[in-house]
Amino acid sequence: MSLRYGLRTFLLELVMVAAAVAFLFPVYALVTLSLKDKQQLAASPLSPPTSPTLGNYSDAWSRASLGSALLNSTVITVASLVVLIAIGSFAAYFLARCATRLGFGLYVLFLLGIVLPFQLGMIPLFKMVDSAGLLGTYQGMIVFYTGIQLPFTVFLYTGFIRALPADYANAALIDGAGHLQAFTRVVFPLLRPITGTVLILNAVFIWNDFFTPLLYLGGSARETVPVRIFAFVGQYVSDYGLVFAGLVLAALPIIVVFLVLQRYVIKGFASGLKG
Amino acid sequence: MDGARASGGRAGGGRVRSRRRRGGFLTPPWWFAAPAVLVYALVVLYPSASGVMYAFTDWNGIGDRSFNGLDNFQRLWQDDAARGSLTNTLLLTVAIVVVQNGIGLLLALGVHTHIKSRAVLRVVFFTPAVVSPVMVAFLWKYVYNPAPDAGLNGILGAVGLGSLRQDWLGDPSLALWSVAGMVVWQFAGYSMVIFLAGLEGVPAELHEAAMIDGAGRWQRFRSVTWPLLAPSVTINVMLSTIGGLKLFDQVYAATSGGPGHASETLSTVLYKQAFVYGNYGYSTAIALVLALFVAAVSLVQVYYLRSREVGS
Amino acid sequence: MTTSFDRAPLSRRGFLRLSGGAAAAAALPAVLAACGGSSGGSGGTLRLVGVADQQKPLDLLTKAYTQAKFSTSYAPTDQVQTSVRTQLGAGNAPDLHVVYPGNGSAMSMAQIAQAGLLADLSDQAWTKRIPDNFKPAFQLGGKTLIYSAGSSVIGAIYNKKVFAEAGVEPPKTWSEFLQVCDKIKKKGKVPIALGAQTPWITQLITYALVPSTVYAKNPQFDAQMKAGSATFANSGWTQALEMYLDLQKRGFFNDNPNGTTFEQQTSMVATGKAAMAIQVSAVLPDFRKAATSPDDLAMFPVPGADDASQVWIPAGVVVGLGVSARSKNRDDAKAFIEFLGKQENINKWAEAVACVPLVRDASSKIDPVLNPFLPFMDGGKAVPFMDQAWPNAEVQPAHFAMVQELLAGKTTIPKGLAKLDETYRKK
Repeated sequence: MSLRYGLRTFLLELVMVAAAVAFLFPVYALVTLSLKDKQQLAASPLSPPTSPTLGNYSDAWSRASLGSALLNSTVITVASLVVLIAIGSFAAYFLARCATRLGFGLYVLFLLGIVLPFQLGMIPLFKMVDSAGLLGTYQGMIVFYTGIQLPFTVFLYTGFIRALPADYANAALIDGAGHLQAFTRVVFPLLRPITGTVLILNAVFIWNDFFTPLLYLGGSARETVPVRIFAFVGQYVSDYGLVFAGLVLAALPIIVVFLVLQRYVIKGFASGLKG
Repeated sequence: MDGARASGGRAGGGRVRSRRRRGGFLTPPWWFAAPAVLVYALVVLYPSASGVMYAFTDWNGIGDRSFNGLDNFQRLWQDDAARGSLTNTLLLTVAIVVVQNGIGLLLALGVHTHIKSRAVLRVVFFTPAVVSPVMVAFLWKYVYNPAPDAGLNGILGAVGLGSLRQDWLGDPSLALWSVAGMVVWQFAGYSMVIFLAGLEGVPAELHEAAMIDGAGRWQRFRSVTWPLLAPSVTINVMLSTIGGLKLFDQVYAATSGGPGHASETLSTVLYKQAFVYGNYGYSTAIALVLALFVAAVSLVQVYYLRSREVGS
Repeated sequence: MTTSFDRAPLSRRGFLRLSGGAAAAAALPAVLAACGGSSGGSGGTLRLVGVADQQKPLDLLTKAYTQAKFSTSYAPTDQVQTSVRTQLGAGNAPDLHVVYPGNGSAMSMAQIAQAGLLADLSDQAWTKRIPDNFKPAFQLGGKTLIYSAGSSVIGAIYNKKVFAEAGVEPPKTWSEFLQVCDKIKKKGKVPIALGAQTPWITQLITYALVPSTVYAKNPQFDAQMKAGSATFANSGWTQALEMYLDLQKRGFFNDNPNGTTFEQQTSMVATGKAAMAIQVSAVLPDFRKAATSPDDLAMFPVPGADDASQVWIPAGVVVGLGVSARSKNRDDAKAFIEFLGKQENINKWAEAVACVPLVRDASSKIDPVLNPFLPFMDGGKAVPFMDQAWPNAEVQPAHFAMVQELLAGKTTIPKGLAKLDETYRKK
């Protein structure tokens, strides 16, 4: 941890960059193959593309009809995140500050959700969603993701809030603010770092989830990106260039969101995951 | 400063408790938790609880069912295939916990320095964690192509390490570890970020003090950094353990449990029993045992690791 | 793309619940029947879930059918199986969904029909024309419960250029087959590409050989298995697996078949690195997509015997569609099946998936690469894919695992077959 950029730091830099290059090999393969047409693929799959083509991308885009799927994925992801963060942070605040048995019991009950295999409740839940008339709707998916991701969200928020001095909120309460005001005006802004973490981790899960939207939305006009992409992959499985272009397209939005938010996200982790 | 906040947190908890005893009004009202509890109960608790019932039936998943008591659990006890998959699950989990966190820690130490590329590298290492595991598995099946001139083998050949070429997913003694490698690739950056969180909480003054005392790099790591990383270790080990024990998508997409049953895990057996073999009741029994097992392991872990944190 | 009609069935259910009355429920079938019966009128929206292989023909045929709107979804087999079985288990299956012919898998006709979840199609005209030898694939207890457009065969998909370079022709007997492989190997090409990493690929070579080693000698084998008087271990299955492993021993497969995927196998043959793959004709479109020119590829029956007259082939009914017995749109869904049963539509479906139409007329176009198989099919020397006669869904995956273990040298043929017999006798 020398403060100067000396030889040691330079050598470390070399090692780390080399590690990153090795690390990026699968990504290189993915992108290279997606930029080649069939002839180039057959001739030399892994060499850098001599005449890169975006043909695979435009084919994948139209054949998997990704346009509307992107909209569906965005609506479902954003709405679920809003609900999750709202009700998750409120609940965590209560759990972190309530020192009674009830508070602890509820906290453990939420943690239970992290270890339960989702298969356990799959059929009963499907029956419920069906009888509520929520199959093929945004609402059904939003309620599902909120419920299924609450344990992790509550876990992250509670850990963070416990490490947060109670003084600010208490000062507001003593000044005559209600609990609701104290939380929304004073406490919630302090949660910004962990909210960043909660946001990206849940966004990743919801955006990438494949099976649930297939089950609940399959065949409807509300199909999400992974559902369309895997139908597409299943159909063109032997055409690497096309399939890899589809995979890049499906992953791109979440990667872009991550890149835009990355500073915030990694900082959020840094101050958020104190446990 | 961050470290001060972390330790202040524990004291803060105590403060709330003592004030509560005096005033009580500082605790938020119960209805703060009500919406979350309601949704959680509706989406997770109630369906899971009603799903448990199937574990005591002979249901095939679509037809009639009748209760058969503890037959499914007895069958699980005698099922060699399930026992083999339990061993695989444990091996896979240990490999992932050790290697993913080991690499994650090294990466964190590497980018928590003054190297110029640190900001870019953090992003590079974390990015795979945001991609869907099924897509990662699909990509890695290409990387693991056994042909000598393709994928990873091709690279090994190109850099003169041709003798290290492997039949990554096809060799029964290697397949499980290849899956572990893929998972580590995807989530090492995740561990890195959590360790970075811990590292940023280590006060620079402590390092300086140790340096003045003449402590070497390794000594400083042992006596200053490592103890203060304890909370990050707890969270990393716990998350990767739960993830490893429940791992399904990656295994199923990469090998479907094969070759033969060489990479079968509890989750793949559970899935196959439910949807491929049509033994839904039995699969629910496996799911139940898996849940209890994961809960027990994580409780023991948290208890042990937390006690280490307090001790440090 | 599908439109605002998607939500119609949901809102109808919602309406039903709101009005709550038995009257509405009682009226519903009548309303639906009226919809189905009216010609050119707007029918209901039918929910259809298929596997990826079915998308091409169904896109074509749902568009051509004007009596109903569809909301369709397709996904790879595993995911569809999981999703449809969950929906069946929860009591709300899609109106039309993928069903595999015969028995032997979790989504097979017999397994789903035994739970009472498939509607009887027996009153439809096309069912009267199902050839006798295909009836077990379509029927249970005398009722026809699945629609399928035809049958596909298992044989060798080969690259004509590679064959020409090696100076070989499609063989007629097993020893000729070995000689052909040998010559190709001497030319430095892989004779047979095998992608056994993908589980279902493992079964194809067994299936290609068993008709000659088992059924040509004993056409009653399936019945005897069912009755318990025959076993895999004491049958031509042993010989077929010995031939399978002999191909490996002679170095006729690519290295590391257990690590090679279906996609890699396909590309090896399509690009001429390998001469052939033993495959089901249903994947011809995949091979053609990967090839520089689709005409590079052709097929021949794998001769599993040294006496050409003793060579039999596997020909199985292709994956089909069933109507959910509990569907509220059952009559509409059945009407669509009736439409699919018309000769012209059987032809269209068969053409889209390169299979032999269930029944043929003058307008039936059969993919010319399948011509070498027709004499076997018409001459009674074709048997359905073996799993279609297996009594439970565990035998087929057990066969996959056994082949992978055999290729890896982790088990022996007698041990593997003993285990397969044990799995067959379960339940």
